Amino acid sequence: MLSTGRWGEFNSARILLVDDDPNLLVLLADQLRADGFEVQTARDGDEALRRLEGGWPDLLIIDMMMPRMDGLTLAREIKAQADLPIIVLSAIETADSKADLLEEVAEDYITKPYHYPELRARITRVLRRVGDRVPRRELVLGPDLSLELHRRMAIVRGEAVQLTPTESRLLYALAANLGQTVATETLLDRGWVDTEDADPSYVWVTMRRLRQKIEPDPNHPVHVVTMRGVGYRLIQQDPEALRTGDVARAPEPGA
Amino acid sequence: MTSGQDPASRRGPSLSFRARLTTGLIAGAVVPLAIVGIVLLGAEFLRTGSLDSTLSSLLVFAIAAAVILAILFAFGLASNLTKPLAALAQALERVSAGDLSARVEVAGEDELARLVESHNRLASDLARRNRQLGRILEAIGQTSPRDGIDRLVAHAISSARSAFEMIDADLHLGDPGAMTVEEVIPGESRPIRAVLALPDERVGVLTGHLPATRRWDAADQDLLELFASEIAVAIRNAQLFAQVEEQTHRLVALDAAKDDFLRGISHNLQTPLTSIRAYAEQLTDERPDRRLAIITEQSERLSRMVRQLLMVSRLEAGTLKPRIEVLSLAPRVRRAWEALGVAELPFEVIDESAGWLALADPDQLDQVLWAILDNAVKYGGGPVSAHLRPDAGSGRLLLTISDSGPGVPDELRDSVFERYARSTAPDHPEGTGIGLYVARELCRAMAGELELEPLAAGEGARFTIALPGEGSAGGEA
Repeated sequence: MLSTGRWGEFNSARILLVDDDPNLLVLLADQLRADGFEVQTARDGDEALRRLEGGWPDLLIIDMMMPRMDGLTLAREIKAQADLPIIVLSAIETADSKADLLEEVAEDYITKPYHYPELRARITRVLRRVGDRVPRRELVLGPDLSLELHRRMAIVRGEAVQLTPTESRLLYALAANLGQTVATETLLDRGWVDTEDADPSYVWVTMRRLRQKIEPDPNHPVHVVTMRGVGYRLIQQDPEALRTGDVARAPEPGA
Repeated sequence: MTSGQDPASRRGPSLSFRARLTTGLIAGAVVPLAIVGIVLLGAEFLRTGSLDSTLSSLLVFAIAAAVILAILFAFGLASNLTKPLAALAQALERVSAGDLSARVEVAGEDELARLVESHNRLASDLARRNRQLGRILEAIGQTSPRDGIDRLVAHAISSARSAFEMIDADLHLGDPGAMTVEEVIPGESRPIRAVLALPDERVGVLTGHLPATRRWDAADQDLLELFASEIAVAIRNAQLFAQVEEQTHRLVALDAAKDDFLRGISHNLQTPLTSIRAYAEQLTDERPDRRLAIITEQSERLSRMVRQLLMVSRLEAGTLKPRIEVLSLAPRVRRAWEALGVAELPFEVIDESAGWLALADPDQLDQVLWAILDNAVKYGGGPVSAHLRPDAGSGRLLLTISDSGPGVPDELRDSVFERYARSTAPDHPEGTGIGLYVARELCRAMAGELELEPLAAGEGARFTIALPGEGSAGGEA
């Protein structure tokens, strides 16, 4: 079971829940309220948009398939208004051709039937990542490397390299504390909050693979640097290349 | 082509034309003179009874002088006559060798001059048709079935106009018999036409007009018809291509519709299952009950089967894209077993893979594990074990799942991984017959493999899953 301490810091977050299945809506709202979230519900896209007029939630959970306006359309409409974090509930999975579309508009998605603790863990993860305030568009780390985390892409020597969801989550956490050390435990929490049996070796191996993708020489990393016994640090090689004002650093690194 | 002819088979004299002409001229000049001399000498001999040596000497001298003069004159005349012929022969040879610029200078208005003129015309006609042929070939080479009929027709019209120097040109698709044929009226622009013919069909007709002064010979018509037939082929290709394209589009649309349909089905099945499962779980939290656990397990089972059916369609479409993540295998195997809800069956995991992590898509790996374990429960009926070990040589992790059943019969060994294959044993009627097929394809998509181990006496079925792995020993932070 996941420890309850992980989402304690967000238990006052406001969530707008959009699903056309009333059973699920009632049940999930109950479960989220029981965990301390402030929950509003909507039965379809139009109702959700009306609710938005009354104030923006901290997070939306949207069902992919709804009559009239589907989840993807709704998510796009919302993103056009404000950059609110969205988790999509969907019956489709990674193998589906629409999974990529979903990732364009959603911070995360979870397949039905979901396991509630897993959903809760992902809500926490998304809220935390939004709190990181990492540049939306592009983070230039050096002449040969820049990150486009919203697309889960690294641009290595001009070539786009696809990052896995976990790799991009770790990079989000590192980018939020650019130049500062992030503890391995923190990275483990960020990358595998919904995995019960994760241990630090997950971080090591993932970092090793990440370096093979983005470092000029994986054996002598210059961007993703190991702080032995502590954690990892993301280094911006060429400070002049930094787009000024784009990066707001989180106050407490590795909190 | 005469150049290819065997010289031995040629008939006629072997002396050159000039030599024959020279000999003829000499003979023509000298023979009468000689006859006159001989007659004169004969008459003198009959009259006098003897030959005046002065006269005969004079005669012989005169004949000799005449012969020399004749030779010189004959040689000169023959040369004058044969020079243009030689030049013409040389030019013809160059033309036949491909040099269409070879012309012979025309002098005078005699028969020879006319011969030379017609050679020059022949050469320039050849050069013109060669140019036309070049333009036609270029125009045909530029056609592509992807262009579509309209562009092809426009292209053919403009190419025909420029290649044949027409005043105007047009191309009608359809039956050429229905189109009226214009008459040739002297002094007016000359209509030309060629049918776009294929061996089995007449596609249309190419028409146009030439300036009234232009010659139009059979060879020109042949060239136009050649062009027309090539255009006919191009149009037929474009039609076929358009048909194939349309069919492809229809299939793609159909495929997309099928995908949407399957998504809809999946959604409509998974949504109620989500509620069932979530409510059962909520109730279990309040008051644990074995019956609620069964509801949870069975709803999970149902949703896995729906997922498996969908996966077949993804595999068939080849759109599978695994998202490879780092993960630990043993806990996932245990969780997959728990999800089956067969706690009464003994299950053990022998993990010899300490310090190793697998590289796999978590969702897809869960489906593989569930399919193999479900199979072991369904057909095995006894204790199930999972043995996990690294194969350092290949950098893979091997997971062998063994059951205690009768194993896979020999006659089914080859077909267990085929779609819709399943044991026909009457006591095991359940199963969709796609579990192992999906599992193997998923393993392969993750750069792994799924194999059925050889059957040993007294052992059940043993499946080995191989997945790429990485040693995590010697970690960094």
